[in-house]
Amino acid sequence: MSAPDVAGARVLLLIPAQTYRASDFLAAAHRMGLTVVVGSDGALPLGGRPVLHADPRDPERSAARLVSRAGPVDAVVAVDTPMLALAVTVAARAGLPHNPIESVMAATDKAAQRRRWAAAGVCQPAFQIVRASAGDDAMAKAAAGTGFPCVVKAVSLSGSRGVLRADDEAGAVAAAARIRGVLARAGRPAREPLIIEEYVPGPEVSVDGLLTNGSLAVTAVFDKPDTPAGPTFEETLLVTPSRLPGQVLAAALDTAERAARALGLRHGPIHAELRIDTRQGRPAPAVLELAARSIGGLCARALRFTGGVSLEEMVLANALGYRPPPAHLGRPSGVLMLHAERAGTLQAVGGKAEAAAMPGITGLMITVPVGQRVHPLPEGDRYLGFIFAEADTPQDTAAALRAARSQLRLTIG
Amino acid sequence: MTDLAARVRAVVERSVLPSVVARGGSLRVAGVEDGVVTLEASGSPGAALPLASRVEALIRAAVPEVTGIRVIGPGGKPPSAATGGLADRVRRVLDAEINPAIAAHRGRVVLAGVDQGWVRVRLEGGCQGCSLAEVTLRQGVEPLLRASVPDMVGLIDVTDHEAGTAPFFSPEKR
Repeated sequence: MSAPDVAGARVLLLIPAQTYRASDFLAAAHRMGLTVVVGSDGALPLGGRPVLHADPRDPERSAARLVSRAGPVDAVVAVDTPMLALAVTVAARAGLPHNPIESVMAATDKAAQRRRWAAAGVCQPAFQIVRASAGDDAMAKAAAGTGFPCVVKAVSLSGSRGVLRADDEAGAVAAAARIRGVLARAGRPAREPLIIEEYVPGPEVSVDGLLTNGSLAVTAVFDKPDTPAGPTFEETLLVTPSRLPGQVLAAALDTAERAARALGLRHGPIHAELRIDTRQGRPAPAVLELAARSIGGLCARALRFTGGVSLEEMVLANALGYRPPPAHLGRPSGVLMLHAERAGTLQAVGGKAEAAAMPGITGLMITVPVGQRVHPLPEGDRYLGFIFAEADTPQDTAAALRAARSQLRLTIG
Repeated sequence: MTDLAARVRAVVERSVLPSVVARGGSLRVAGVEDGVVTLEASGSPGAALPLASRVEALIRAAVPEVTGIRVIGPGGKPPSAATGGLADRVRRVLDAEINPAIAAHRGRVVLAGVDQGWVRVRLEGGCQGCSLAEVTLRQGVEPLLRASVPDMVGLIDVTDHEAGTAPFFSPEKR
Protein backbone atom coordinates (compact mmCIF):
# COMPACT_ATOMS: atom_id res chain seq x y z
CA MET A 1 0.00 0.00 0.00
CA SER A 2 1.37 3.38 -0.80
CA ALA A 3 0.33 5.69 2.00
CA PRO A 4 -2.96 7.42 1.12
CA ASP A 5 -3.02 11.19 1.15
CA VAL A 6 -4.52 11.72 4.56
CA ALA A 7 -2.05 14.37 5.73
CA GLY A 8 -3.75 16.88 7.96
CA ALA A 9 -6.58 14.57 8.98
CA ARG A 10 -7.38 14.74 12.67
CA VAL A 11 -7.41 11.47 14.58
CA LEU A 12 -8.32 10.78 18.20
CA LEU A 13 -6.01 8.02 19.44
CA LEU A 14 -7.22 6.32 22.61
CA ILE A 15 -4.14 4.88 24.28
CA PRO A 16 -4.42 2.73 27.41
CA ALA A 17 -1.62 3.27 29.89
CA GLN A 18 -0.47 -0.34 29.88
CA THR A 19 0.06 -1.02 26.21
CA TYR A 20 2.97 -2.10 24.05
CA ARG A 21 1.74 -0.06 21.14
CA ALA A 22 1.66 3.64 21.99
CA SER A 23 4.92 4.51 20.26
CA ASP A 24 4.13 2.53 17.11
CA PHE A 25 0.76 4.21 16.63
CA LEU A 26 2.20 7.66 17.32
CA ALA A 27 5.03 6.99 14.89
CA ALA A 28 2.57 5.85 12.24
CA ALA A 29 0.41 8.93 12.68
CA HIS A 30 3.44 11.19 12.50
CA ARG A 31 4.69 9.49 9.35
CA MET A 32 1.27 9.96 7.74
CA GLY A 33 1.17 13.64 8.66
CA LEU A 34 -1.91 13.25 10.84
CA THR A 35 -2.87 15.65 13.56
CA VAL A 36 -3.18 13.52 16.68
CA VAL A 37 -5.31 14.11 19.74
CA VAL A 38 -4.49 11.61 22.46
CA GLY A 39 -6.90 10.32 25.07
CA SER A 40 -5.50 8.08 27.79
CA ASP A 41 -6.10 6.81 31.28
CA GLY A 42 -2.44 7.55 31.97
CA ALA A 43 -2.49 11.23 31.11
CA LEU A 44 0.15 13.43 32.69
CA PRO A 45 -0.70 17.03 33.66
CA LEU A 46 1.72 18.31 31.05
CA GLY A 47 1.30 21.10 28.52
CA GLY A 48 2.14 20.95 24.84
CA ARG A 49 -0.64 18.99 23.16
CA PRO A 50 -2.34 17.94 26.37
CA VAL A 51 -3.44 14.33 26.67
CA LEU A 52 -7.16 14.14 27.42
CA HIS A 53 -8.21 11.97 30.31
CA ALA A 54 -10.09 8.90 29.06
CA ASP A 55 -11.51 6.40 31.51
CA PRO A 56 -12.46 3.15 29.73
CA ARG A 57 -14.43 2.02 32.81
CA ASP A 58 -16.89 4.87 32.30
CA PRO A 59 -17.34 5.05 28.52
CA GLU A 60 -20.43 7.26 28.40
CA ARG A 61 -19.07 10.01 30.61
CA SER A 62 -15.59 9.75 29.09
CA ALA A 63 -17.03 9.88 25.58
CA ALA A 64 -18.98 13.04 26.36
CA ARG A 65 -15.86 14.69 27.74
CA LEU A 66 -13.67 13.57 24.83
CA VAL A 67 -16.14 14.73 22.18
CA SER A 68 -16.43 18.16 23.78
CA ARG A 69 -12.69 18.62 24.35
CA ALA A 70 -11.11 16.92 21.36
CA GLY A 71 -12.94 19.02 18.80
CA PRO A 72 -13.90 17.64 15.41
CA VAL A 73 -11.99 14.51 14.42
CA ASP A 74 -11.99 12.40 11.27
CA ALA A 75 -11.50 9.08 13.03
CA VAL A 76 -11.30 7.52 16.47
CA VAL A 77 -8.86 4.65 16.93
CA ALA A 78 -8.43 2.42 19.98
CA VAL A 79 -4.78 1.53 20.25
CA ASP A 80 -5.48 -1.54 22.38
CA THR A 81 -8.31 -3.65 23.80
CA PRO A 82 -9.20 -1.64 26.91
CA MET A 83 -10.15 1.37 24.77
CA LEU A 84 -12.33 -0.47 22.23
CA ALA A 85 -15.70 0.19 23.86
CA LEU A 86 -14.83 3.81 24.56
CA ALA A 87 -13.69 4.34 20.96
CA VAL A 88 -17.01 3.03 19.67
CA THR A 89 -18.92 5.25 22.07
CA VAL A 90 -16.97 8.33 21.02
CA ALA A 91 -17.32 7.51 17.32
CA ALA A 92 -21.07 7.08 17.72
CA ARG A 93 -21.39 10.49 19.40
CA ALA A 94 -19.17 12.07 16.75
CA GLY A 95 -21.17 10.58 13.87
CA LEU A 96 -18.27 8.51 12.58
CA PRO A 97 -18.48 4.93 11.23
CA HIS A 98 -18.23 2.43 14.06
CA ASN A 99 -18.97 -1.12 15.09
CA PRO A 100 -22.06 -1.84 17.19
CA ILE A 101 -21.08 -1.67 20.84
CA GLU A 102 -22.53 -5.12 21.52
CA SER A 103 -20.30 -6.56 18.77
CA VAL A 104 -17.18 -5.03 20.29
CA MET A 105 -18.19 -6.27 23.72
CA ALA A 106 -18.79 -9.77 22.31
CA ALA A 107 -15.31 -9.72 20.81
CA THR A 108 -13.83 -9.12 24.27
CA ASP A 109 -15.82 -11.99 25.86
CA LYS A 110 -14.92 -15.49 24.71
CA ALA A 111 -18.20 -16.92 26.00
CA ALA A 112 -20.27 -14.36 24.09
CA GLN A 113 -18.34 -14.89 20.88
CA ARG A 114 -18.66 -18.67 21.12
CA ARG A 115 -22.44 -18.36 21.51
CA ARG A 116 -22.65 -16.10 18.46
CA TRP A 117 -20.48 -18.41 16.36
CA ALA A 118 -22.57 -21.37 17.41
CA ALA A 119 -25.72 -19.55 16.34
CA ALA A 120 -24.14 -18.65 12.99
CA GLY A 121 -22.69 -22.10 12.35
CA VAL A 122 -19.08 -20.90 12.35
CA CYS A 123 -16.68 -23.82 12.78
CA GLN A 124 -15.21 -23.79 16.29
CA PRO A 125 -14.28 -26.31 19.01
CA ALA A 126 -17.17 -27.92 20.90
CA PHE A 127 -17.56 -25.98 24.13
CA GLN A 128 -19.48 -25.53 27.35
CA ILE A 129 -19.76 -22.41 29.45
CA VAL A 130 -19.49 -23.05 33.16
CA ARG A 131 -20.90 -20.49 35.58
CA ALA A 132 -18.63 -18.97 38.20
CA SER A 133 -20.83 -20.45 40.91
CA ALA A 134 -20.45 -23.99 39.57
CA GLY A 135 -18.87 -26.44 41.99
CA ASP A 136 -16.23 -29.05 41.30
CA ASP A 137 -18.81 -31.68 40.36
CA ALA A 138 -20.39 -29.44 37.76
CA MET A 139 -16.96 -28.58 36.37
CA ALA A 140 -15.97 -32.23 36.17
CA LYS A 141 -19.28 -33.10 34.51
CA ALA A 142 -18.88 -30.34 31.92
CA ALA A 143 -15.35 -31.46 31.16
CA ALA A 144 -16.42 -35.08 30.79
CA GLY A 145 -19.22 -33.96 28.51
CA THR A 146 -16.74 -32.09 26.32
CA GLY A 147 -14.33 -35.03 26.23
CA PHE A 148 -10.62 -35.27 26.92
CA PRO A 149 -8.26 -33.71 26.41
CA CYS A 150 -10.06 -30.41 26.87
CA VAL A 151 -9.03 -26.79 27.38
CA VAL A 152 -10.23 -24.69 30.30
CA LYS A 153 -10.24 -20.95 29.56
CA ALA A 154 -10.95 -17.61 31.14
CA VAL A 155 -13.39 -15.64 29.01
CA SER A 156 -11.73 -12.26 29.41
CA LEU A 157 -7.94 -12.64 29.24
CA SER A 158 -5.57 -12.67 26.27
CA GLY A 159 -2.21 -14.00 25.19
CA SER A 160 -2.88 -17.53 26.50
CA ARG A 161 -3.26 -16.14 30.01
CA GLY A 162 -5.76 -18.17 32.04
CA VAL A 163 -5.75 -21.11 29.60
CA LEU A 164 -4.90 -24.71 30.62
CA ARG A 165 -5.28 -28.10 29.02
CA ALA A 166 -6.82 -30.85 31.15
CA ASP A 167 -6.63 -34.56 30.43
CA ASP A 168 -9.19 -35.83 32.93
CA GLU A 169 -11.90 -34.66 35.31
CA ALA A 170 -9.53 -34.00 38.20
CA GLY A 171 -7.26 -32.02 35.88
CA ALA A 172 -10.19 -29.90 34.71
CA VAL A 173 -11.25 -29.12 38.27
CA ALA A 174 -7.68 -28.17 39.21
CA ALA A 175 -7.31 -26.06 36.07
CA ALA A 176 -10.52 -24.20 36.81
CA ALA A 177 -9.40 -23.42 40.36
CA ARG A 178 -6.08 -22.12 39.14
CA ILE A 179 -7.65 -19.98 36.43
CA ARG A 180 -10.09 -18.48 38.92
CA GLY A 181 -7.05 -17.48 40.95
CA VAL A 182 -5.55 -15.82 37.89
CA LEU A 183 -8.81 -13.94 37.29
CA ALA A 184 -8.99 -12.79 40.92
CA ARG A 185 -5.43 -11.46 40.80
CA ALA A 186 -6.23 -9.72 37.52
CA GLY A 187 -9.09 -7.91 39.24
CA ARG A 188 -11.75 -9.52 37.07
CA PRO A 189 -15.31 -9.72 38.41
CA ALA A 190 -15.99 -12.86 40.44
CA ARG A 191 -19.08 -13.58 38.32
CA GLU A 192 -17.09 -14.38 35.17
CA PRO A 193 -17.78 -17.86 33.80
CA LEU A 194 -15.17 -20.22 32.37
CA ILE A 195 -15.15 -22.05 29.05
CA ILE A 196 -14.40 -25.71 28.64
CA GLU A 197 -13.71 -26.58 25.02
CA GLU A 198 -12.42 -29.57 23.17
CA TYR A 199 -8.72 -29.62 22.43
CA VAL A 200 -8.26 -29.31 18.69
CA PRO A 201 -4.98 -30.79 17.48
CA GLY A 202 -3.35 -29.37 14.38
CA PRO A 203 -1.44 -26.36 13.09
CA GLU A 204 -2.35 -22.96 14.49
CA VAL A 205 -2.46 -19.71 12.54
CA SER A 206 -3.40 -16.14 13.25
CA VAL A 207 -5.19 -13.91 10.76
CA ASP A 208 -4.97 -10.14 10.81
CA GLY A 209 -7.20 -8.04 8.64
CA LEU A 210 -9.09 -4.82 8.21
CA LEU A 211 -12.84 -4.62 7.82
CA THR A 212 -14.49 -2.08 5.58
CA ASN A 213 -18.27 -2.21 5.68
CA GLY A 214 -18.03 -5.84 6.71
CA SER A 215 -15.62 -6.90 3.98
CA LEU A 216 -12.29 -8.28 5.19
CA ALA A 217 -8.97 -7.33 3.61
CA VAL A 218 -6.35 -9.68 5.04
CA THR A 219 -3.14 -7.97 6.08
CA ALA A 220 -1.19 -10.95 7.41
CA VAL A 221 -1.45 -14.64 8.16
CA PHE A 222 1.08 -15.97 10.63
CA ASP A 223 1.93 -19.63 11.10
CA LYS A 224 2.60 -20.52 14.74
CA PRO A 225 4.87 -23.52 14.32
CA ASP A 226 6.04 -23.91 17.91
CA THR A 227 2.69 -23.61 19.68
CA PRO A 228 2.80 -26.24 22.45
CA ALA A 229 0.19 -28.94 22.99
CA GLY A 230 -0.33 -27.86 26.60
CA PRO A 231 -0.81 -27.76 29.51
CA THR A 232 -0.07 -24.06 28.85
CA PHE A 233 -0.15 -22.49 25.40
CA GLU A 234 2.72 -20.05 25.06
CA GLU A 235 2.58 -18.14 21.79
CA THR A 236 6.21 -18.19 20.82
CA LEU A 237 6.99 -18.14 17.14
CA LEU A 238 4.97 -16.33 14.47
CA VAL A 239 6.11 -16.51 10.85
CA THR A 240 4.52 -15.00 7.77
CA PRO A 241 3.57 -15.70 5.03
CA SER A 242 1.74 -18.84 5.98
CA ARG A 243 2.86 -22.11 4.45
CA LEU A 244 -0.62 -23.61 4.62
CA PRO A 245 -1.75 -25.10 1.31
CA GLY A 246 -3.77 -22.62 -0.72
CA GLN A 247 -7.14 -24.31 -0.25
CA VAL A 248 -6.66 -24.66 3.51
CA LEU A 249 -5.52 -21.06 3.79
CA ALA A 250 -8.53 -19.87 1.80
CA ALA A 251 -10.82 -21.85 4.10
CA ALA A 252 -9.12 -20.34 7.16
CA LEU A 253 -9.58 -16.81 5.83
CA ASP A 254 -13.19 -17.52 5.01
CA THR A 255 -13.74 -18.85 8.55
CA ALA A 256 -12.13 -15.75 10.05
CA GLU A 257 -14.33 -13.45 7.94
CA ARG A 258 -17.46 -15.39 8.86
CA ALA A 259 -16.46 -15.27 12.52
CA ALA A 260 -16.09 -11.48 12.36
CA ARG A 261 -19.42 -11.16 10.55
CA ALA A 262 -21.15 -13.38 13.10
CA LEU A 263 -20.00 -11.03 15.85
CA GLY A 264 -21.43 -8.10 13.90
CA LEU A 265 -18.07 -6.41 13.32
CA ARG A 266 -18.00 -4.23 10.22
CA HIS A 267 -15.15 -1.75 10.66
CA GLY A 268 -11.53 -1.71 11.68
CA PRO A 269 -8.91 -4.31 12.53
CA ILE A 270 -9.43 -7.90 13.58
CA HIS A 271 -7.04 -10.50 14.91
CA ALA A 272 -8.25 -14.09 14.80
CA GLU A 273 -6.66 -17.31 16.06
CA LEU A 274 -7.53 -20.56 14.32
CA ARG A 275 -6.56 -24.21 14.56
CA ILE A 276 -6.55 -26.39 11.49
CA ASP A 277 -8.40 -29.47 12.71
CA THR A 278 -6.80 -32.53 11.15
CA ARG A 279 -8.78 -35.22 12.96
CA GLN A 280 -11.18 -36.05 10.16
CA GLY A 281 -8.51 -36.45 7.51
CA ARG A 282 -9.58 -33.27 5.73
CA PRO A 283 -8.05 -30.08 7.22
CA ALA A 284 -10.85 -27.98 8.70
CA PRO A 285 -10.20 -24.51 10.17
CA ALA A 286 -11.81 -23.87 13.57
CA VAL A 287 -11.76 -20.41 15.07
CA LEU A 288 -10.49 -20.23 18.66
CA GLU A 289 -10.75 -16.50 19.35
CA LEU A 290 -11.22 -13.19 17.58
CA ALA A 291 -10.40 -9.70 18.83
CA ALA A 292 -11.50 -6.38 17.33
CA ARG A 293 -7.95 -5.05 17.21
CA SER A 294 -4.74 -5.78 15.36
CA ILE A 295 -2.15 -8.28 16.56
CA GLY A 296 -0.96 -7.76 20.14
CA GLY A 297 2.34 -7.04 21.84
CA LEU A 298 4.98 -5.68 19.50
CA CYS A 299 4.28 -8.40 16.93
CA ALA A 300 3.13 -5.91 14.28
CA ARG A 301 6.75 -4.82 13.99
CA ALA A 302 7.38 -8.06 12.12
CA LEU A 303 5.15 -6.74 9.34
CA ARG A 304 6.20 -4.24 6.74
CA PHE A 305 4.21 -3.51 3.63
CA THR A 306 5.17 -2.05 0.31
CA GLY A 307 6.79 1.33 0.72
CA GLY A 308 7.75 0.58 4.31
CA VAL A 309 4.16 1.05 5.50
CA SER A 310 3.47 -0.35 8.96
CA LEU A 311 0.39 -2.22 10.14
CA GLU A 312 -0.46 0.77 12.35
CA GLU A 313 -0.48 3.00 9.27
CA MET A 314 -2.85 0.55 7.61
CA VAL A 315 -5.13 0.64 10.67
CA LEU A 316 -5.14 4.45 10.72
CA ALA A 317 -5.75 4.71 6.96
CA ASN A 318 -8.59 2.21 7.27
CA ALA A 319 -10.15 4.29 10.06
CA LEU A 320 -9.98 7.29 7.75
CA GLY A 321 -11.97 5.46 5.11
CA TYR A 322 -9.28 3.97 2.90
CA ARG A 323 -9.70 0.34 1.97
CA PRO A 324 -6.29 -1.35 1.96
CA PRO A 325 -5.28 -3.26 -1.16
CA PRO A 326 -4.22 -6.90 -0.73
CA ALA A 327 -1.26 -7.27 1.60
CA HIS A 328 2.10 -7.07 -0.04
CA LEU A 329 4.91 -7.89 2.32
CA GLY A 330 8.51 -7.43 1.39
CA ARG A 331 10.12 -10.67 2.60
CA PRO A 332 9.14 -13.54 4.89
CA SER A 333 9.33 -12.26 8.43
CA GLY A 334 8.58 -13.34 11.94
CA VAL A 335 8.64 -12.62 15.62
CA LEU A 336 9.49 -14.72 18.63
CA MET A 337 7.87 -13.79 21.93
CA LEU A 338 9.86 -14.41 25.07
CA HIS A 339 8.03 -15.88 28.05
CA ALA A 340 9.03 -16.45 31.64
CA GLU A 341 9.68 -20.14 32.10
CA ARG A 342 9.25 -19.92 35.86
CA ALA A 343 8.15 -17.45 38.49
CA GLY A 344 10.69 -15.18 40.09
CA THR A 345 12.60 -11.98 39.62
CA LEU A 346 14.21 -11.26 36.27
CA GLN A 347 17.82 -10.89 37.36
CA ALA A 348 19.74 -10.63 34.12
CA VAL A 349 19.45 -10.92 30.37
CA GLY A 350 22.61 -12.22 28.77
CA GLY A 351 23.54 -12.89 25.17
CA LYS A 352 21.61 -9.97 23.70
CA ALA A 353 24.43 -8.86 21.42
CA GLU A 354 25.03 -12.41 20.24
CA ALA A 355 21.31 -12.95 19.58
CA ALA A 356 20.95 -9.65 17.72
CA ALA A 357 23.97 -10.49 15.58
CA MET A 358 22.54 -13.76 14.30
CA PRO A 359 21.88 -13.76 10.54
CA GLY A 360 18.39 -12.58 9.67
CA ILE A 361 17.68 -10.91 13.00
CA THR A 362 16.30 -7.41 12.50
CA GLY A 363 15.43 -6.47 16.06
CA LEU A 364 15.45 -7.56 19.69
CA MET A 365 13.67 -5.87 22.55
CA ILE A 366 13.50 -6.82 26.20
CA THR A 367 10.27 -5.38 27.58
CA VAL A 368 10.43 -6.33 31.26
CA PRO A 369 12.96 -4.43 33.37
CA VAL A 370 15.56 -6.42 35.24
CA GLY A 371 14.46 -6.57 38.86
CA GLN A 372 10.75 -7.11 38.17
CA ARG A 373 8.73 -10.15 39.19
CA VAL A 374 7.67 -12.35 36.31
CA HIS A 375 5.35 -15.32 36.06
CA PRO A 376 4.95 -18.14 33.57
CA LEU A 377 1.60 -18.98 32.02
CA PRO A 378 -1.18 -19.36 32.90
CA GLU A 379 -0.48 -16.44 35.27
CA GLY A 380 1.99 -14.50 33.08
CA ASP A 381 0.61 -11.10 32.10
CA ARG A 382 3.49 -9.79 30.02
CA TYR A 383 6.08 -10.80 27.50
CA LEU A 384 9.72 -10.67 28.49
CA GLY A 385 10.60 -9.42 25.06
CA PHE A 386 10.47 -9.88 21.32
CA ILE A 387 12.93 -10.98 18.63
CA PHE A 388 12.28 -10.06 15.00
CA ALA A 389 13.69 -11.64 11.84
CA GLU A 390 13.52 -11.57 8.07
CA ALA A 391 14.88 -14.16 5.67
CA ASP A 392 14.42 -15.52 2.18
CA THR A 393 11.93 -18.19 3.26
CA PRO A 394 9.56 -18.72 6.20
CA GLN A 395 11.65 -21.75 7.24
CA ASP A 396 14.83 -19.65 7.31
CA THR A 397 12.97 -16.98 9.29
CA ALA A 398 11.88 -19.49 11.91
CA ALA A 399 15.39 -20.94 12.06
CA ALA A 400 16.88 -17.47 12.58
CA LEU A 401 14.49 -16.75 15.43
CA ARG A 402 15.18 -20.07 17.13
CA ALA A 403 18.92 -19.56 16.74
CA ALA A 404 18.71 -16.08 18.25
CA ARG A 405 16.60 -17.39 21.14
CA SER A 406 19.23 -20.01 21.86
CA GLN A 407 21.77 -17.22 22.40
CA LEU A 408 19.69 -15.45 25.04
CA ARG A 409 20.17 -16.25 28.71
CA LEU A 410 17.26 -15.10 30.85
CA THR A 411 18.15 -15.45 34.51
CA ILE A 412 15.10 -15.67 36.76
CA GLY A 413 15.77 -16.18 40.44
CA MET B 1 20.88 6.33 -10.52
CA THR B 2 24.34 4.70 -10.58
CA ASP B 3 24.84 1.06 -9.76
CA LEU B 4 26.54 2.03 -6.49
CA ALA B 5 23.65 4.27 -5.48
CA ALA B 6 21.15 1.57 -6.43
CA ARG B 7 22.94 -0.97 -4.24
CA VAL B 8 23.06 1.46 -1.33
CA ARG B 9 19.39 2.20 -1.80
CA ALA B 10 18.57 -1.52 -1.77
CA VAL B 11 20.44 -1.98 1.51
CA VAL B 12 18.73 1.03 3.07
CA GLU B 13 15.27 -0.14 2.04
CA ARG B 14 15.81 -3.73 3.10
CA SER B 15 17.86 -3.47 6.27
CA VAL B 16 17.63 0.06 7.60
CA LEU B 17 14.31 1.61 6.67
CA PRO B 18 12.09 -0.74 8.73
CA SER B 19 13.89 0.25 11.95
CA VAL B 20 13.64 3.94 11.13
CA VAL B 21 10.00 3.65 10.13
CA ALA B 22 9.25 1.79 13.35
CA ARG B 23 10.58 4.82 15.21
CA GLY B 24 8.38 7.19 13.27
CA GLY B 25 10.75 8.47 10.65
CA SER B 26 11.89 7.85 7.15
CA LEU B 27 15.20 7.76 5.38
CA ARG B 28 16.15 8.07 1.73
CA VAL B 29 19.37 8.03 -0.21
CA ALA B 30 19.84 11.61 -1.36
CA GLY B 31 23.08 10.90 -3.18
CA VAL B 32 26.36 9.02 -3.33
CA GLU B 33 29.46 10.97 -4.21
CA ASP B 34 33.09 9.87 -3.94
CA GLY B 35 32.02 6.92 -1.81
CA VAL B 36 30.16 9.11 0.68
CA VAL B 37 26.44 8.37 1.04
CA THR B 38 24.12 11.25 1.89
CA LEU B 39 20.97 10.10 3.65
CA GLU B 40 18.02 12.44 4.11
CA ALA B 41 16.15 11.81 7.36
CA SER B 42 12.55 12.96 7.69
CA GLY B 43 9.47 12.22 9.74
CA SER B 44 9.75 11.91 13.48
CA PRO B 45 12.81 13.82 14.63
CA GLY B 46 15.33 11.46 16.10
CA ALA B 47 14.10 8.34 14.35
CA ALA B 48 17.23 7.95 12.24
CA LEU B 49 20.09 9.75 13.96
CA PRO B 50 20.43 7.40 16.95
CA LEU B 51 20.83 4.57 14.44
CA ALA B 52 23.50 6.37 12.42
CA SER B 53 26.44 4.22 13.47
CA ARG B 54 24.47 1.01 12.90
CA VAL B 55 23.27 2.29 9.54
CA GLU B 56 26.82 3.08 8.49
CA ALA B 57 28.03 -0.35 9.58
CA LEU B 58 25.24 -2.07 7.66
CA ILE B 59 25.80 -0.09 4.48
CA ARG B 60 29.57 -0.44 4.55
CA ALA B 61 29.31 -4.18 5.20
CA ALA B 62 26.98 -4.64 2.23
CA VAL B 63 28.62 -2.10 -0.12
CA PRO B 64 32.36 -2.03 0.58
CA GLU B 65 32.94 0.88 -1.83
CA VAL B 66 31.17 3.20 0.62
CA THR B 67 33.65 5.15 2.72
CA GLY B 68 31.33 7.29 4.80
CA ILE B 69 27.77 8.31 5.68
CA ARG B 70 26.31 11.79 6.07
CA VAL B 71 22.80 12.32 7.49
CA ILE B 72 20.96 15.53 6.64
CA GLY B 73 17.53 16.90 7.54
CA PRO B 74 14.58 17.30 5.15
CA GLY B 75 15.64 19.15 2.03
CA GLY B 76 19.19 19.29 3.29
CA LYS B 77 18.22 22.09 5.66
CA PRO B 78 21.32 23.42 7.38
CA PRO B 79 21.14 22.96 11.14
CA SER B 80 21.19 25.82 13.57
CA ALA B 81 24.62 26.86 14.79
CA ALA B 82 23.50 28.45 18.05
CA THR B 83 24.08 25.33 20.12
CA GLY B 84 25.39 26.95 23.29
CA GLY B 85 22.37 29.19 23.85
CA LEU B 86 20.08 26.43 22.71
CA ALA B 87 21.22 24.10 25.47
CA ASP B 88 20.61 26.73 28.13
CA ARG B 89 17.15 27.54 26.81
CA VAL B 90 16.22 23.88 26.60
CA ARG B 91 17.44 23.30 30.13
CA ARG B 92 15.34 26.23 31.38
CA VAL B 93 12.16 24.85 29.80
CA LEU B 94 12.86 21.38 31.16
CA ASP B 95 13.44 22.71 34.67
CA ALA B 96 10.62 25.26 34.75
CA GLU B 97 7.80 23.70 32.75
CA ILE B 98 8.36 20.03 32.15
CA ASN B 99 10.05 18.35 35.09
CA PRO B 100 7.76 19.75 37.78
CA ALA B 101 4.79 18.16 35.95
CA ILE B 102 6.53 14.90 35.12
CA ALA B 103 7.52 14.51 38.76
CA ALA B 104 3.89 13.48 39.37
CA HIS B 105 4.82 10.20 37.67
CA ARG B 106 8.23 9.98 39.39
CA GLY B 107 9.86 10.94 36.11
CA ARG B 108 12.41 13.43 34.88
CA VAL B 109 13.78 14.60 31.54
CA VAL B 110 17.44 15.60 31.38
CA LEU B 111 19.34 17.24 28.55
CA ALA B 112 21.89 14.76 27.25
CA GLY B 113 23.35 17.05 24.62
CA VAL B 114 22.82 19.42 21.76
CA ASP B 115 24.30 18.80 18.35
CA GLN B 116 23.71 21.05 15.35
CA GLY B 117 20.27 22.02 16.54
CA TRP B 118 19.22 18.49 17.48
CA VAL B 119 18.34 18.19 21.14
CA ARG B 120 19.06 14.87 22.82
CA VAL B 121 17.18 14.09 26.00
CA ARG B 122 17.19 11.19 28.39
CA LEU B 123 14.12 10.10 30.31
CA GLU B 124 14.72 8.93 33.85
CA GLY B 125 12.81 7.50 36.81
CA GLY B 126 9.20 6.63 36.07
CA CYS B 127 9.55 7.71 32.43
CA GLN B 128 12.38 5.28 31.63
CA GLY B 129 10.74 2.26 30.06
CA CYS B 130 7.22 3.60 30.64
CA SER B 131 4.70 2.41 28.08
CA LEU B 132 3.51 6.00 27.64
CA ALA B 133 7.00 7.54 27.37
CA GLU B 134 6.54 8.30 23.69
CA VAL B 135 3.23 10.03 24.42
CA THR B 136 4.92 12.19 27.05
CA LEU B 137 7.76 12.98 24.69
CA ARG B 138 5.87 13.70 21.47
CA GLN B 139 2.66 15.20 22.85
CA GLY B 140 4.18 17.07 25.78
CA VAL B 141 7.93 17.61 25.84
CA GLU B 142 8.48 18.22 22.13
CA PRO B 143 5.71 20.79 21.57
CA LEU B 144 6.60 22.60 24.79
CA LEU B 145 10.22 22.84 23.72
CA ARG B 146 9.30 23.93 20.19
CA ALA B 147 7.11 26.70 21.56
CA SER B 148 9.95 28.15 23.62
CA VAL B 149 12.94 27.09 21.50
CA PRO B 150 11.83 27.53 17.89
CA ASP B 151 15.32 27.00 16.47
CA MET B 152 15.40 23.43 17.78
CA VAL B 153 15.74 21.21 14.71
CA GLY B 154 14.44 18.07 16.38
CA LEU B 155 14.20 16.08 19.59
CA ILE B 156 15.99 12.77 20.01
CA ASP B 157 15.23 10.34 22.81
CA VAL B 158 18.53 8.68 23.76
CA THR B 159 17.05 6.81 26.72
CA ASP B 160 17.92 3.17 27.20
CA HIS B 161 14.32 2.25 27.94
CA GLU B 162 15.15 -1.43 28.37
CA ALA B 163 17.30 -0.48 31.37
CA GLY B 164 14.47 1.29 33.17
CA THR B 165 13.87 -0.34 36.54
CA ALA B 166 10.78 1.50 37.74
CA PRO B 167 8.59 2.51 34.81
CA PHE B 168 5.40 4.28 35.88
CA PHE B 169 3.32 2.19 33.45
CA SER B 170 4.30 -1.25 32.17
CA PRO B 171 2.64 -2.90 29.19
CA GLU B 172 0.34 -5.88 29.68
CA LYS B 173 -0.82 -8.62 27.34
CA ARG B 174 -4.06 -7.84 25.52
